[in-house]
Amino acid sequence: MIFVLFGVSLIVFYLTHGIPSAWDPVTAYITPKMTASQIQAIRVQHGFNQPIYLQYFYWLRDVLQGNWGHAGNEASGFPVSQVFAMRFPFTVELATVGTIMTVGLGIPLGIISALKNNKLPDHASRIFALTGYSTPSYWIGFVLQLVFFYYFAQWGLPSLPSHGALSQVLDGTVPLVTRMPIVDGLLAGNLGYAWDGLLHVILPAFTLAFISLGYLARIVRASMLEVLRQDYIILARSKGLRERVVIYRHALRNALIPAATLTGLFLAGLLGGAVITEYIFSWPGVGQLSLSAVFAGDANFVAYYTLVTALIIVVANLVVDVLYIYLDPRIKY
Amino acid sequence: MSGKRTRESQARTEELRYTLHQLFRNPLVVLGLILSVFFIFLSIYVTKIVSPAQFANPLGLQPLLLGSLSVDPSIFLNIAIYGGIAYIIQRMYDNKWATIGFLAVVFVVLYTPIPQQLWIVNPDGPNQVDFTQKLCWSNSLINWGTQSTPCPAASHYFLGTDDYGRDLFMMILMAIPLDLAIALEIVIISTAFGVFLGAVAAWSGGKVDEILLRITDIFFAFPGLILALVLAAVLGRNITTLTIAVLIVWWPTYVRLIRGQILAEKSKNYVEALRSLGLSSKRILFLHILPNSIYPILVQCTLDIGGVILTFSALMFLGFSPSPALPELGNLASSGVTYFFQAPWLIFFPGATIVVISLAFNLIGDGIRDVLDPRLRR
Amino acid sequence: MSELQRESAQALLEIQDLRVDFTTYAGKVKVLNGVDLKLREGEIFGLVGESGCGKSVTALTVAGLLPENSEIVSGKILFKGEDLLKKSSNEMRETRAVRVAMIFQDPMTFLNPVLTIGTQLTESIDVRYGKEISSGWRPPGAGGEPGAAAHSGRTGGREKKRILNKMAVEALKKVRLPDPERLLKSFPHELSGGMRQRVMIAMALARNPDLLIADEITTALDVTIQAQILELLRALRGELRSTIVVITHDLGVVAEVCDRVGVMYAGDVVEVAAVDELFAKPLHPYTQGLLHAIPIVTGGNERLESVRGTVPDLIHPPPACRFNPRCPHAWDICSKEKPPLLSETEGHFVACHLYRKEKP
Repeated sequence: MIFVLFGVSLIVFYLTHGIPSAWDPVTAYITPKMTASQIQAIRVQHGFNQPIYLQYFYWLRDVLQGNWGHAGNEASGFPVSQVFAMRFPFTVELATVGTIMTVGLGIPLGIISALKNNKLPDHASRIFALTGYSTPSYWIGFVLQLVFFYYFAQWGLPSLPSHGALSQVLDGTVPLVTRMPIVDGLLAGNLGYAWDGLLHVILPAFTLAFISLGYLARIVRASMLEVLRQDYIILARSKGLRERVVIYRHALRNALIPAATLTGLFLAGLLGGAVITEYIFSWPGVGQLSLSAVFAGDANFVAYYTLVTALIIVVANLVVDVLYIYLDPRIKY
Repeated sequence: MSGKRTRESQARTEELRYTLHQLFRNPLVVLGLILSVFFIFLSIYVTKIVSPAQFANPLGLQPLLLGSLSVDPSIFLNIAIYGGIAYIIQRMYDNKWATIGFLAVVFVVLYTPIPQQLWIVNPDGPNQVDFTQKLCWSNSLINWGTQSTPCPAASHYFLGTDDYGRDLFMMILMAIPLDLAIALEIVIISTAFGVFLGAVAAWSGGKVDEILLRITDIFFAFPGLILALVLAAVLGRNITTLTIAVLIVWWPTYVRLIRGQILAEKSKNYVEALRSLGLSSKRILFLHILPNSIYPILVQCTLDIGGVILTFSALMFLGFSPSPALPELGNLASSGVTYFFQAPWLIFFPGATIVVISLAFNLIGDGIRDVLDPRLRR
Repeated sequence: MSELQRESAQALLEIQDLRVDFTTYAGKVKVLNGVDLKLREGEIFGLVGESGCGKSVTALTVAGLLPENSEIVSGKILFKGEDLLKKSSNEMRETRAVRVAMIFQDPMTFLNPVLTIGTQLTESIDVRYGKEISSGWRPPGAGGEPGAAAHSGRTGGREKKRILNKMAVEALKKVRLPDPERLLKSFPHELSGGMRQRVMIAMALARNPDLLIADEITTALDVTIQAQILELLRALRGELRSTIVVITHDLGVVAEVCDRVGVMYAGDVVEVAAVDELFAKPLHPYTQGLLHAIPIVTGGNERLESVRGTVPDLIHPPPACRFNPRCPHAWDICSKEKPPLLSETEGHFVACHLYRKEKP
């Protein structure tokens, strides 16, 4: 695992700091008014003219010491860690709700597909799942906004908000503990606040869920089908157990193990920031910020963002492995 | 190789027939097949009408779907590729009719002359700018509401126009072949590269395998889109560089896949038997193990065509396209964002096209995967 | 009463002309070709035959556990007079819960790996006695205060669980498993093969079924464990009221435990007799061939005899008597008319034209 992280840091560094033609590291430190010689001086001061491996070493040292620099311009931007702290909770909220929706919709879909294998419900749910899998997130997000925000309002129906995580009027009416609107609202006992947060998160979360539930449903279906062919299912039926008990107690406990690990990985991926979805819905999360950072040429922020997301995924893999051992009593570590 | 059918190829044909039989029992796969064939033929048709020069050129090569009777480099490429596939078919199934049939289909598809006067595709359509017709919509299915203007009844726009008055339908028609060609190229190249690398590494085992595994682990630690984003930012904004960016993100999947397959095959008895017959490692790997491991790769390729289109168009959508006029589905959607509520069709139709194309290939891939799952066979 | 009537009066299970087909990609497999069988109450009946002859399929049909691609073409299965084939799937489920229990071959794959032994055992008991326990019934000697519980009528969840666990422990004790309380908490992979098999037997026993079907239960075990399991079966037979069907391809097992035995070949029952009678005087050519093929350890170095030919393809089976291609005594009529299962001597039935009263 260390090796992987090391390799990740290498790649991240090289991509963001190692190619001066693409991302000149100096830009974070200069103002438009500086002369060429001043810029050169800054270059020397920060060591940007040194061989690449030395630069990498210094950068790595900075990373590990927690010295993460600033987002945007070094002088005027906020520290990266602070920026993260401000935005990450929103991404967490979106990721969590999105995962809950994916699981809540995907698993039943997969089970139905397996139980009615090759019949109409199977085909219907597979088309639905595959359509989701084939949809670009900007398209489905857009369609949802169009229908539920725009046209609902036009047709006089209650509409769902399509931008941001919270209505602006409510800003600051509740003490910020976790910075997640729903959680903060509940903690403060302000249900209206929490409800507003929930309304805001529904559409983007559903966008994420729509795309991913297909894959999850497919995995659930495949493992259900495999489990249902097992001998212990025959024994369970021979005991005279009701079919429902056979499925819930015997089949699902086995079939959902791969789905559980997949969900863990999926959540980790979302925590990295669903860039396109956040962009479409103006969701104030980390992903949206990274997008603007990339276009603004903010190499520093992009580097740390990529590093963090990779770290999340590596850790998640580890957690998921442990989870698997816990779920399947056959495996001894 | 003599002309008679070997037992091996007979067995393979039987296996193929069983697979196809199972496959076609699934109506979704049939639907997917129809749709994908439709899109492929549409692309070929469109590219024959429109001159190749109007397409941006990924990797500097002509996309595989283009064919032309004038002598240009693409003809040699086509011969190489289709000849190679024909050779593989002949070796696997030992049936000259299968090979001849395949070549005949290729020839017909690529070289049949198609009349230029069919009205539906106007080669200059996408570039015709007509400001008097800007931002109007025109289709009989969806009424976009009162804030947008419908096109005049006499005009020939099918889906509407964008802010420059360009015909959306034409642009989508031009974008489909481009996207398909790019997707095919990326999938083929990353498959070839990943499979080759992974096969060699898995087969040799030891340190080489270790190292390659770690490298793929590193790539897998990045969420795909983010890596593609960073790469695109570094490499620049043209089709070639974006193709390379997506390629870099994509190839590790195949390495892992083929590695799993080869490791499983390596321990099987027939490998030992072949070795004791004196076959060299290279022959065993390429002539016996690879053909047996091909099916999961095939599944992944089919599914990846949809995935690549999604990723590539996402990059374009986010703003990495070389020019706003490039006929590419993601790019078209991106220019529609500014007119989000005014002209929803600008995002809706390109996006819907992506959905349908991806869906077509995904249906096939999913169907194949179902049929090939060794646990569910027979 | 005629012999036939006496037979019927004591018959627990009667299978009449059962025909079952399986649909596969390669074609329709005619697995059961008109199986006739009668089981008396309280006996241990052995069902022998080669792999693929239809013994398991017969058992699964009785239990109503056939897979989806199967089709019961015709026949009757009379269980205490009721035709099982006419029952709905829900009724069959009830029948399985209360009356028919099955034990299977490979206890590793037949026990759910993620559930504890306790869970799987108690659910078996629950499905049989659950309702009774809830309404205040107590099994004899299971403890608890019968007086108090009987008064209150309904038994709560925790009390019920306690009783179920107690009954489970009793069942495990009956199959001679040590430390039953700890076993309840263990997982199947923590047990040895023989122990797992005993657990499966316990699961079936605890339900006190009328009919117990043991499908190749010793096949996956080594010889010493096999002997223990068979001994267990013999010992339990006195306690149980059940009729036991032992399905096996091993004639040795049959000789060990069974009272009567039926021989199956390619979907037909070809001979039924008491065990001693069958071994002493096999009538059907197939049975004769089987018995001759058993190597005798104490005998001289003779060549191993076997029945010539191979098991037929059930998609295109031989016409009429399915054994006729391999039979050393085959006549013309053997490929034209299927021989019915008739009584040759008292209690000894055979399906072969050799024994027709009127020669053709």
